[in-house]
Amino acid sequence: MKTGFSIFLVAFVALGASWLGFVYGPLAQLGGEQQTAVLQSADNWPPQRTGDTTLGLQVYREFACAACHTEQIRQTGAANELTLTSLGDHKPQEFKDFIQSLMIVPELMNSSNTIVGNLDHWNGDLPVTIYSGEDATVVSALAAKLKPVNVKADARVVALGADVKRGWGLRKSVAADYLYDAPVQLGNLRAGPDLTTIGVRDPDINWQLQHLYAPRSIVKNSTMPAFRSLFEVRKKSDGQASPDALVLPKEFAPADDLEVVPTAKARQLATYLLSLKANVPLYEAPFTPVTAAK
Amino acid sequence: MNNDTTKTIGADEIDVSCRVPLLALFGGAALWLVLGLLLGLAAAMSFHAPDIFADCPLLSYGRAQAAANDLLLYGFAIPAALGVTLWIFARLSQAPLALPIVPVAAANLWHLGVLVGTVAILLGYSTGHTWLEYPRPAAVLLFAAFMLVAISAVATMGFRPDRELYPSHWFLFAALLWFAWTYSSANLFLLSGHPPRGVVQAIIGWWFANNLVFVGLALFGIGIAFYFLPKFARQPLASSGYTLFAFLTLTFFGTWCGVPQSAPVPAWLPATSAFAALLSLIPVLAIAIVAWKTASPAGFSVTGGPFCFVKFGTLSFIASAFLYLSECCPRYSRAVDFTWFGFGVTQWQLLGFAGMILCGAIYHLLPLIMQKELPFPKLAKGTFFFFAAGVVLYVVPLLIGGVVQGLKLRNADIAFADASAAALMFLRVSSLGQALMVVGSLGLLLNILVMTIQWKLGLVKMVIAAVKAPLETEEVKS
Amino acid sequence: MSDETKTSCQGNLPNGEPTVTRSAAPMWIIVVTLTLLFFGGLYLDSHSGWFNPKVYSPFNSAEKLEAFQPQSGAAAVAAQGKRVYEAVCGICHGVDGAGKPGQAPPLAGSEWVITKGDNRLVRIPLEGLAGTLVVKGKEWNLNMAAMGAALPDADLAAVLTYMRTSWGNKAGEVTADDVKKIRDAIGGHPQPMTGDQMTKMPE
Repeated sequence: MKTGFSIFLVAFVALGASWLGFVYGPLAQLGGEQQTAVLQSADNWPPQRTGDTTLGLQVYREFACAACHTEQIRQTGAANELTLTSLGDHKPQEFKDFIQSLMIVPELMNSSNTIVGNLDHWNGDLPVTIYSGEDATVVSALAAKLKPVNVKADARVVALGADVKRGWGLRKSVAADYLYDAPVQLGNLRAGPDLTTIGVRDPDINWQLQHLYAPRSIVKNSTMPAFRSLFEVRKKSDGQASPDALVLPKEFAPADDLEVVPTAKARQLATYLLSLKANVPLYEAPFTPVTAAK
Repeated sequence: MNNDTTKTIGADEIDVSCRVPLLALFGGAALWLVLGLLLGLAAAMSFHAPDIFADCPLLSYGRAQAAANDLLLYGFAIPAALGVTLWIFARLSQAPLALPIVPVAAANLWHLGVLVGTVAILLGYSTGHTWLEYPRPAAVLLFAAFMLVAISAVATMGFRPDRELYPSHWFLFAALLWFAWTYSSANLFLLSGHPPRGVVQAIIGWWFANNLVFVGLALFGIGIAFYFLPKFARQPLASSGYTLFAFLTLTFFGTWCGVPQSAPVPAWLPATSAFAALLSLIPVLAIAIVAWKTASPAGFSVTGGPFCFVKFGTLSFIASAFLYLSECCPRYSRAVDFTWFGFGVTQWQLLGFAGMILCGAIYHLLPLIMQKELPFPKLAKGTFFFFAAGVVLYVVPLLIGGVVQGLKLRNADIAFADASAAALMFLRVSSLGQALMVVGSLGLLLNILVMTIQWKLGLVKMVIAAVKAPLETEEVKS
Repeated sequence: MSDETKTSCQGNLPNGEPTVTRSAAPMWIIVVTLTLLFFGGLYLDSHSGWFNPKVYSPFNSAEKLEAFQPQSGAAAVAAQGKRVYEAVCGICHGVDGAGKPGQAPPLAGSEWVITKGDNRLVRIPLEGLAGTLVVKGKEWNLNMAAMGAALPDADLAAVLTYMRTSWGNKAGEVTADDVKKIRDAIGGHPQPMTGDQMTKMPE
């Protein structure tokens, strides 16, 4: 290239292309997103943030919690599952033979090895998953055949992946989960566990506050710093602990006449953490929620 | 022979014209390098003794690490790269630096911006976006300073008599545009009063991080390496075709990497990044071939001089770029997502690649611009060995620890606490590496500081001599 | 200047600046690039979901995502019906189905909603009503446009089922097939019905 202008042109086009693709494109496609519908429910997702949770997000940013915690769940796949819940009047062996006889049905032929294999080592305990795979037609065909013989089975869609298996979430995180976050705190290191559904896993605000003040009082070898600046150690009034003072084990509690009280920032942060409950099914990341007993 | 002498005087004149701007840029850069490495060490302490900063939120891990990273990138790497760029443009243009006062003012603005930004992060006013933690005032200062330096650089490039451009021109000029556009765009979107909704912020952040830390630093670093490798090896740069090909593929493909494979964004974004990462292996390969062909005839002796720095840096580029691109591989990334691996790769790019090449360039330039020997040449050689050992000891345990942690995270039967604990041993070793690098960086700081002081003292002596001289002659007359 | 700097200043040109050998990039690297471009294109085709904002990996195409949507149960239909009702019918008939005087008759407890069959009920949103109609003992003399004509069959079926199972109403569901049959029977250019026509029609 002979002129500065030609370098400028090449660089401009190259960077311009990726600007259009990764800045303008997502802005146009996702920038105007509104709430989205929760599958099989009349609710919308995500819920609007209330005052304290918004302030709590700012405290999260201020103390750079995203440096060690992520707020995104991964998913490696999805499976349609059929789980038996009741055999009706049938005995397990009878049922196994019945299933064997169904394997000539055209929709079930391709999966016959999987289904029969799942039942081979079955000791008769319920519930048991007799099919888990990508094909929804197999599940519906099998369910249709089981209905007339009074065998109860649940057809479910489940998310697969280590994060889901660990219980950190029921589905992958999607754009809708971060609709009202500013700034979005996705995080990219898991020095501590993921927090996407911490509001469901540890819903007690006192647990959250104690964990912030003295992480090692809850998780023995935790490397999380103790955020003592979020709390105030003060004299007990009249020797009585105030109602919002933390209840701490002996090694972490201050002297007898002192108590540990959370500041407003600590409360806001804890409220924000309790609001992290991204476990509803969406169109983009479907799964069958486990409903309470009918 | 006469030709040579006149040309060499010309080179001296060019070097001296760069003195004040480069001292301003390099002096601050060396200071920020030491501070950045120290803050990084402090951040690592939080993992060795978690309660050490419990009552001092200023140095808690999140704030200290963010401040350290930004100090290494904005405090050290970019001003040092700008300084070397100015000098290379001046030399290649066979003309003194154009508008020399402009980069001096810019350097002061820049270092002020870095100071404001660093203090802001430590006090909790970080913006929350990775690599963009400096709040608006600091960001504006940095951008204004950059544009001023860019003006001087472009003017210098424009004054060249020989219109043919050398490959370093392409890389460095593109790097100027790259930083200006990505920094302004990302800050305008993310730090404005109405940032984009939700996950779009993260996408813009990833675009920015990739285009600055991968492509931007690569353009700066390889542009500088392609100037010094042929110079030190006394060989011509291997091939104009290869370098042009590397430049085109790096700019067109490298810019699209960056979106992580597991990101909570529609599938087309990570798929495009994976595609781009595969293709970005080509420029890395091309650069490796050019570097090998240019530098290998000069042999492989390790003396600790600037040539060693540049060779180490180029090797680091190839290795770290390869690992960075492999993070975008869909299957493999599952093993290293959210582990210390990504952090290790970034540190390798910042310190092993950019840091080493820039240190080597600075050590080469200091005697030229000051027209004086380095005050501590043994320290300068020591810097190389401390840095090289430090980088290896810092980065390699992080990479291995990251993979170990990632493999454990993938297995849901292993408790999370065990997966995290698996990495702790590796962190201890890598902190040793950090300590070594702090020592090495002190060598650089000391050299620049003493040279600056000597120069200023020399100036003061000159002023005093000029003030004294007329008095004496008048006495004789009367 | 030190020896090292002097010798390195000699470089390749008399003035010490480096030069570059003129040679073209070899063919093999271009071939490798083109090959990678091709395979990358294949990957993009199968994994990008073709820029659909709803498609996230691991569901790499819109079809695959659709296949994993949970089968609609009664709860899904009710939710869908509620959503359509509140968007389309509730404005006039009220969110609680109580109607608004002078605007729309009530649906809660209305004999026109809890009919045994669904022929009349389906025709109301598909054709519209004009003139007088007696609802729950009161006479209403209003016009209703064919509000359901633009709705897809599944949505109309869901909203009618919702009406028939809410606010104390207890009647059977309306299926999308029923809606389709009746829509076909009506054909193009439906005219609003009158109260008399409605009474004469089979339930």
